[in-house]
Amino acid sequence: MSDVVEKTLTALPSLLSLDSQPGSTKLSSTSKLGTLIRGITELTSKHEEEKLIQRELTSIKEQVSSPNTSMRQMKELMVRAIYCEMLGYEASFSYIHAIKLAQQGTALEKRVGYLAVSLFLNESHELLLLLVNTVLKDLQSTNLIEVCMALTVVSQIFPKDMIPAILPLVEEKLNHPKEIIRRKAVLALYKFYLIAPNQVQHIHNKFRKALCDKDPGVMTASLHIYLQMIQENPEGYKDLTTSFVTILKQVVGGKLPMDFNYHSVPAPWLQIQLLRILSLLGKNDQSTSEIMYEVLDESLRRAEMNHNITYAILYECVKCIYTIHPKSELLEKAAKCIGNFVLSPKINLKYLGLKALTYVVQQDPKLALQHQMTIIECLDHPDLIIKRETLELLFRITNAQNVTVIVEKMLEFLRINKDDYTTIDLVGKVAELAEKYP
Amino acid sequence: MMRFLLLFSRQGKLRLQKWFTPMSEREKKKIIRDMTTMVLARQPRSCNFLHWKDLKIIYKRYASLFFCLAIENQENELIALEVIHRYVELLDKYFGNVCELDIIFNFEKAYFILDEFLMGGEIQETSKQMVNRSIEASDMLQEDDSSEWFEVELFG
Repeated sequence: MSDVVEKTLTALPSLLSLDSQPGSTKLSSTSKLGTLIRGITELTSKHEEEKLIQRELTSIKEQVSSPNTSMRQMKELMVRAIYCEMLGYEASFSYIHAIKLAQQGTALEKRVGYLAVSLFLNESHELLLLLVNTVLKDLQSTNLIEVCMALTVVSQIFPKDMIPAILPLVEEKLNHPKEIIRRKAVLALYKFYLIAPNQVQHIHNKFRKALCDKDPGVMTASLHIYLQMIQENPEGYKDLTTSFVTILKQVVGGKLPMDFNYHSVPAPWLQIQLLRILSLLGKNDQSTSEIMYEVLDESLRRAEMNHNITYAILYECVKCIYTIHPKSELLEKAAKCIGNFVLSPKINLKYLGLKALTYVVQQDPKLALQHQMTIIECLDHPDLIIKRETLELLFRITNAQNVTVIVEKMLEFLRINKDDYTTIDLVGKVAELAEKYP
Repeated sequence: MMRFLLLFSRQGKLRLQKWFTPMSEREKKKIIRDMTTMVLARQPRSCNFLHWKDLKIIYKRYASLFFCLAIENQENELIALEVIHRYVELLDKYFGNVCELDIIFNFEKAYFILDEFLMGGEIQETSKQMVNRSIEASDMLQEDDSSEWFEVELFG
């Protein structure tokens, strides 16, 4: 903590000086935003803050409505308006100007305009329709940065009814020579799929192309869509299982460029997406599951290091192994893994271990019995969240013998718990148990 | 899928807010209030995960800033923790030893970095280099208004 104070103290002289440092660490100290922020931090009461912000908002309102404001000044005004909205004050007069800025500004001004639009508006706002034209124009621009910005804003906020107007343009970007554009196009289509799935049905074969794209970024992006589609219809995609298995093999074997490594783990988010997809495909299907056993074994072996991210991958791996058609060696290794989690002194891992136990307890009740002592310890853990997870677990392994004890513990927890949602949930569980075991 | 990401100081002042699903202003305000109260009340050695309504809240404290990310129930909590960490790494690489002041005074840059990294509630780009290059390219925009120049930078 003290080195942050030190850093602040050393930064202060440059903050207060009149020339700003070049490069990416430029603190906009002399800008009006800087003055505003410093002004707010000096005030002591909420009332004074309100007064200052209202004054600021009136001044911004005047300036944005004046015809003499240049785009450069408008950009600066937008940033201040975003700041005021973030503090909770309404600045709805600036919304239309944000859209204008995105339309008329160049490059960075456009970027701030788009940012302001994505932060200010929501999907049912009537001003959003004005944005569509700007986006259409930018998508066809020869300047790739503008295309990127347009695709970004489309993925963040776009009215559902205008999708047909923009779909062909986004589709054509899927074949663009630059991978960043292809990737953003895939993500825009993912967003469309989420808000209006029937509009995007006809381009499934294009997603397949994205899946086989030579750039790993584009391929990862297409996995989001695949996960959604497979969740709704696993049967239709079983033929892709071998492709997914091959990709996972390559990732785990370190065949991706070094840049995708996160703390020496190759593309962990990609691994986790693939594991989730594989578990959906292999559920209740022996032949499909058999294709996956080897690569799951490999993933379990590779994820040996002691970093949070490897534990995350192990957790997904374990879940996958327990979902698909069972294989005893894999189950054994997974059980050992869960054991390590639950016994770990690190509290986050204990939590994960308890969650994993809850998930697998239906299939393998002996595992929970093995770790009985630890579970009982967790019941008295000072952290309420761990307690709650333990109660979830106990709820699943209730039988006629231990039901009284478990219900007692639950009632005890209910007395100290303050969160309404959890209370409702637990009360429901107690009622269920009461019915089952009168 | 992620629902929202909030950054706030130890006094509960909001520094950054990113919403991945549409929400009304009232809901947003309520969520911000709830999050700050809940997270700031946590003991230092408890686990980084919380339950709130039907979502899971992952939070982590870096110096004087709390990063608070909300995910849906079926998501993996540890991975969300790493998402936060990855974002912090990106900020650190961009600002060079980032501190809260950097984020306060350059919050629009923090938003740009976030937008290159997360999209529609999912991780967009796992390659650190790509994210950095696209941010640096748009920084060049600030110095020089002619656009063709940095196209070479970004796509070269």
